[in-house]
Amino acid sequence: MMPTVSKAITTDLVEAFKNSAADLAAEAPDTYKLCRYADLRIEVTEEKHAGSENGTSKYAFEDSHIACGIRVLAGDSTIAPGYFGQLLGKADLPRLTQTLASGLKRAYARAVANAREKARIRDKYKDLGEALSDTRLAPVEVQRDTVKAEYAIDPRQVCLDDMVRYVTEVSRAVQDVDEQLKYNAVSAVTLVTRELFASSEGACIDQSFALTTGSVHVVAVSETGDQELSDTIGHQRGWEVVTEGIVEEHIRNLDLLTFSTNLARDAVKLAHAPPLRSSDKDVAVVTDPHFNALLAHEIIGHPTELDRALKMETAYAGRSWLLRALNDTMVGKAVASALVTAYSDPSLPGFGHYKYDHEGTPGRKVVHIEKGIFRGFMNNRQTAAILNVPPNGSCMATEAHLVPLVRMSTTVFAGGARAPEDIIREVDKGYYVVGHRIPSIAESRENFRISAQKVYEIRNGQIGQLYRGGGIMADTKTFLMKVDAVGRDFRLFPISNCGKGQPMQGRRLGNGGPTLRSRAHLTGPA
Amino acid sequence: MVSLATLKRTAEEGLRYLRRQKDVQEAEVFVASNDGLTARVNYTSHIPCNGVEEPKSTSSHGLGVRAVFQNPQGPRIGLGSEAGDLSLNGVKAALEKARRSAVHDPDFTTLPRPSPESRTLTKYHDPSAMTLTDTDLVQAGWRVLTRALDEFAKAGSLSALAQTGPKLRELGFIVGGDVTVLLERMAIGSTRLPKVQTDESTLIASFVTAMVEREGAKGTGYGCHTRLSAMRGDAGAEAARNALSAVGGVRIKDGEYAVILGPQPVTELMCNLILPSLTVASFYDCSSAFHGRLGRQVAHDDLTIYDHGALTGHMGSKGITCEGLPTGRTDLIKDGKLIGLLSSFYETERMLHDPAAKEKLGVPPEDCPSALVPRNGFRFGGGGRRFDMAPSVAPTNVFIEGRKKKTREDLLRQVQNGVYIGRIWYTYPINGLRTGDFTATVVGDSYMIKDGKLTAPIKANVVRINDNIHQVLRNIMGITSKSRGTTIWAADEVVYAPEIAVARLRLTEIAGFMDVH
Repeated sequence: MMPTVSKAITTDLVEAFKNSAADLAAEAPDTYKLCRYADLRIEVTEEKHAGSENGTSKYAFEDSHIACGIRVLAGDSTIAPGYFGQLLGKADLPRLTQTLASGLKRAYARAVANAREKARIRDKYKDLGEALSDTRLAPVEVQRDTVKAEYAIDPRQVCLDDMVRYVTEVSRAVQDVDEQLKYNAVSAVTLVTRELFASSEGACIDQSFALTTGSVHVVAVSETGDQELSDTIGHQRGWEVVTEGIVEEHIRNLDLLTFSTNLARDAVKLAHAPPLRSSDKDVAVVTDPHFNALLAHEIIGHPTELDRALKMETAYAGRSWLLRALNDTMVGKAVASALVTAYSDPSLPGFGHYKYDHEGTPGRKVVHIEKGIFRGFMNNRQTAAILNVPPNGSCMATEAHLVPLVRMSTTVFAGGARAPEDIIREVDKGYYVVGHRIPSIAESRENFRISAQKVYEIRNGQIGQLYRGGGIMADTKTFLMKVDAVGRDFRLFPISNCGKGQPMQGRRLGNGGPTLRSRAHLTGPA
Repeated sequence: MVSLATLKRTAEEGLRYLRRQKDVQEAEVFVASNDGLTARVNYTSHIPCNGVEEPKSTSSHGLGVRAVFQNPQGPRIGLGSEAGDLSLNGVKAALEKARRSAVHDPDFTTLPRPSPESRTLTKYHDPSAMTLTDTDLVQAGWRVLTRALDEFAKAGSLSALAQTGPKLRELGFIVGGDVTVLLERMAIGSTRLPKVQTDESTLIASFVTAMVEREGAKGTGYGCHTRLSAMRGDAGAEAARNALSAVGGVRIKDGEYAVILGPQPVTELMCNLILPSLTVASFYDCSSAFHGRLGRQVAHDDLTIYDHGALTGHMGSKGITCEGLPTGRTDLIKDGKLIGLLSSFYETERMLHDPAAKEKLGVPPEDCPSALVPRNGFRFGGGGRRFDMAPSVAPTNVFIEGRKKKTREDLLRQVQNGVYIGRIWYTYPINGLRTGDFTATVVGDSYMIKDGKLTAPIKANVVRINDNIHQVLRNIMGITSKSRGTTIWAADEVVYAPEIAVARLRLTEIAGFMDVH
């Protein structure tokens, strides 16, 4: 039965296709004799973008789009996966059910061909072929649910001209901060996405979210130095995120105007500051919550993604030092000082929030490090089956036509009990590392170098000289083991772009943490 | 894939419609169809796996309209797109979106005008790649994997390594990577250009990493092709051979070393530091590491770099840009001197009209017209030539050459004692592009150089590079005449990269705890 559809691509479309898509997925094992499992994802997004440079409008963009992704596990003597993805448009709507059916057929054909080759190669290589196994999914409770988006100002109702006017005003205000600001770019995005997940097991999950983000990039040039800075605000809420800001228990999201002009002032100060000198040995460093958000992302979130740990990203985003082999892992071992607890939790607010992942598994809190002891990984159903552990709902794709991967939701260092000012006051000689910039992490996340927006000297417990071009470098485990103070100032931040997979999927995520104190090498300009 | 004839017809009909619109001052219609097919490989001898993990595809087709609308306050330019609809209704819908989103951009002058250069590259794609079946895709992935497994299985040296158990698989063989086929078709028509033009290209790439994990030994193999028939799985065999060569790796101490950078590290430095600094856009926004230095010496005089998008048989080639202009050769650095920049029509026009252009470039733009020719305006955004994006600047095929024809042996003799670095990872401008500071870790394919010869392999993930690109460019000792087409993760361009010897590079030993944990 052909569903009745509207003429435009809107999130309401999901309602019209929900039943037919669910039926198609549910009937796949009956339709295709070797099909063991199928799931189907449809995503509709309505979005608006605006950008400005140096106080002038630059672009605007308003569109809605639809995409679908299909996974089939199939085979006879062995089971293997096959996938299909497509970006669709308004013209596809009258034949969407047929398009999905055709995609299912393609994914099935790939899975069957893949299974046949797997069986043949497994037999051919004997010892080396033994690892080629059936694709299994760990069981989950089948869910049927609807999740609504949260917002005060509906992104769909925002006037594009107002967006352009606002970002242009912000850009102009940034320009007016100081004549040494040679360039600035300000942009904003607001959107609503509605996702449908249906599987041959009977799952049917319809979840929506709003997302709004604002970004600023500035370049300041003084007689003695120059400084580029970029940063982002954002939340899974409406346009109010940018124009009014958001204050919640763990989030202090300034409005874009205040945020951007603050960053511009920092860039000017830094352009006049002396460059930081690299240190030959470890020094005491106090890292602030914004810096620690990226640190948590790189040294906690990524190495605890189980697909990396199981070597599936060896050629791309890398492996994890926390798992060498199934019988050689860091689970149950000390990887940090007893003050350190770290976890991922999709129920936390912000970019990393969701109720169900893209396999229909309810997202839940995953403790990675508990008082210094490594506890476990984020997983999807396939990797959970390999480790024989329950799925924890950590499988997400950037868009529906792309294959979901194990992804951090909101990965954080847990807050502690100390006042951040006391953590600084106890340092005789050290450095206060404020705000993250750019990370470079070793392949298995065993070492990191991350640059900071600002580095201040600490002398006798007092914050002193500001330096530019600074950051820290350390071996991951060494840094974590040396943490000797954890602040109570736990904060969450948006991370605007994290790449993983092939083709690379850039995804927005949440990260956070409190003030930490540890030891690391200082890094300055080369 | 939508046929080229259909794309062309859509562009022609669309352009006729756009010409009739009274409020439209000028307009362009860009129609595209893209298929990306990937067989992603994941083999782990010590962990249950699928072998070919993701045989998959993404496809899209649609059209985009860029239009300039008359307005009492000045012309407004907008971009609208429509996915999946190549009918006139699609053009109308895209135009309406462009109208709704149009803004006054004071830097905009006009849509791209015809270039004095003419197109030289046509019919250069591989028709057989356009008809790749699902089974072909799956088999391409397995071919890469089995070529790697063959190398592992026949390696006599591994039997000795497997002393702790009777099974080779316990050594932890990993083969990861992919075979990717990108099929692109496009047509473009503009009120500023004389006729509707089309282009069709195929890119076939394979990138494989292999490991003997218990030994911390990693090797890389890759291939970039324009013909499907050339994809024989060699990348898998090469990666496995390189991993086997890396068994028995050593650590090195902190210090400054003379190094030879292999094609992959050269490509990493190009794609993450040098090429982003060689665009007119990066000079405009003051982020280039070469800010204000056009016409000046920016590297050792042995170094020449150019981009050439119109060469047959090269994977990054295109017949025309996504602005409808001919591709061609752009000289960037010649004998160490910065002489040209990559640009799109918009960026060139913007720089030509920028009051601060002289300060940004280092010379008045009117004095260097050949340095700002727009041959690189593309709509790359992952997955082909995107109909829903405005053009931005992207390289095509990038060539690096030295003045003297050298071999790897020549470079080894020059270096005498140092380090050969074959693969680096996460190469980022750690303090922003403009400063030139960068860092990366050495992840495989690397060796000690002793007495002018490659000796012990260097263990994967035990060295970090902390240096500055200006120092690297100044300290070049030699460049091989032989180069290799190389791509890196998520990059659109292909760098035909030689090996380059550099007199000094700062290396830091890292992750000592991994040897004992």
